[in-house]
Amino acid sequence: MILGVLRGPIGRLIAVGIILLAIQNSLLIDVKPAGVVIQVMLAFSAAAGVVGGADSGVLAGFVLGILYDLGTGTPLGLSALSMALAGLVGASMTLLNIEPQWWLNAIFVALGSAAGELANPLLRTLIGESGLIGSYLITVVAVVALSAAVLSPLLTRLARWALRISSAELRLPEPVE
Amino acid sequence: MIGRRRVVALLVLTALLLLTLDLRGVAGLNVARSGFVQVMAPIETAARVVTRPVVNAWRAVTTFDELREENLDLREQVDAQRGNEIAARNAIIENQQLRALNALESLTDIPSVTAAIIGESPSNIDQVVEIDRGRRDGVQVGMAVANEAGLIGKVTAVFENSSLVMLVTDARYAVEVKVVSADTGSDADEPVTEATVPSGLTMSELEEIAAAQETSAGSDGSDDLSADPGGDDVELDPFEADAAVRRALAEAGAAAPEVAELVTLATANEVALADLVGSLGGAQLAVRVAREIIEARAEMGTSVGRPQGEATDVVLRETGALRGQGSGRLPQVDFVVSTPSLAELQVGDFVLTAGGRTSLAPPDIPVGTVANIIASPGSAGSQLEIFPAPDLSSLRFVRILLYKPSVEINQ
Repeated sequence: MILGVLRGPIGRLIAVGIILLAIQNSLLIDVKPAGVVIQVMLAFSAAAGVVGGADSGVLAGFVLGILYDLGTGTPLGLSALSMALAGLVGASMTLLNIEPQWWLNAIFVALGSAAGELANPLLRTLIGESGLIGSYLITVVAVVALSAAVLSPLLTRLARWALRISSAELRLPEPVE
Repeated sequence: MIGRRRVVALLVLTALLLLTLDLRGVAGLNVARSGFVQVMAPIETAARVVTRPVVNAWRAVTTFDELREENLDLREQVDAQRGNEIAARNAIIENQQLRALNALESLTDIPSVTAAIIGESPSNIDQVVEIDRGRRDGVQVGMAVANEAGLIGKVTAVFENSSLVMLVTDARYAVEVKVVSADTGSDADEPVTEATVPSGLTMSELEEIAAAQETSAGSDGSDDLSADPGGDDVELDPFEADAAVRRALAEAGAAAPEVAELVTLATANEVALADLVGSLGGAQLAVRVAREIIEARAEMGTSVGRPQGEATDVVLRETGALRGQGSGRLPQVDFVVSTPSLAELQVGDFVLTAGGRTSLAPPDIPVGTVANIIASPGSAGSQLEIFPAPDLSSLRFVRILLYKPSVEINQ
């Protein structure tokens, strides 16, 4: 059963998540445009939502969020929630019911990333942490969203591979139930 | 087949459950986290090696101008600090001797572990760095972390071979601090450096004292300062000799008010050291040695001791709680104890940890200097913005102070 799960999308998501976490913890903490850390795992979750719909986006967000929380010491489940939200917002593109274009993907990956990045301090405020919400979030959210849009062509391909979604499936997006 | 909405709801509920368990401190999750960090360590190391050229290229592009300016500034600072090096070394020795004599708690008495920074938080919210020392090295949650410049933060998570350190700028960080000032009344921008002995007396002052004693002794015939009381050459450490001078003059010159006034400026360790050398020959020998030291220093043209105008009286002004304010913002001190009768707060005042029975940080670690004073109406007291002493943006190595508050030690 465990092997079955690992052979499915979850196994690939874990593999992709570990690689992205390593990149997040090495390259991206040094390469900071405008002093903001690019959130590649968040962007990937949104990309998974864009190419796979709501359930795939939430699943990818959950798996990557758990890995992120385990690897960075943030409260376990918190990033899973914010990344799942990113996947859900990314998946809202399927509501348009039109054939996806690269620029449309980029917009929704950016929107999903922005929502996830904004949700993180809000959720942490809900669990009792203070001082996390301020004007600096505008810059942070803007840079995270923009970088997600730039990375979206790469991340959507990666998400399609991880979720085993063929090009044919992409042309006929299924609406969110 | 489970519906899609149910899958989404199930995952969200699972995340909420994990969050609740983690916030309640379930041990199993910490074990999982520790294990995952161990597994990720080699992968992250490999990623760092692979991505290093990209990082270097990025830094070269983005920080070239900044580094060039910083390099020029640092060269100027090095030139300026060379002049203060001798005085600083002397001050450290004096401070250590005084602490040893009085059995005071000092950072040098606290065992510490040196660690290298191996990572930073990838979050835009947390101000956290990862260090390469963990449980195996005796590191525990809550321990203070500092470097040579001052307080860095505290340990918030410990794994087998690594730990996470929350920086003082993190919005969740708080520590008790005190604001002190070296109130000398002189212009700090224009330090006046004059040759002094370790006690702070100038050579001319000592010469005057010696001359006054010689004259006084010659007039009443009771004490011949030019005589060699011991008959043998006695080698004295300049610091001890200076203290001996103070002590001996205090004994021999009780009748001279100006001498008595100068003796009151002697610091506690000088008096204590004077006790150690008090039997070496009394006033005559002390004054003679002092003269020799003065002459020798004048010939060498050296300046020993702290520059005149530097801190001699440290004034405690306020105590309060320092709290981080998050990324890009200076930490603030909210005062819990306001004693305006002590002195007015000033920009540039020093901020040190206050210590205390329950504090996880030992006392007297430099935290920074007051950058801004924000007046608050009512009885809340002032808020201070603190410019951290260490450069938190370019940390390389830190010291974890293996310190436990006295409350825990007594348990």
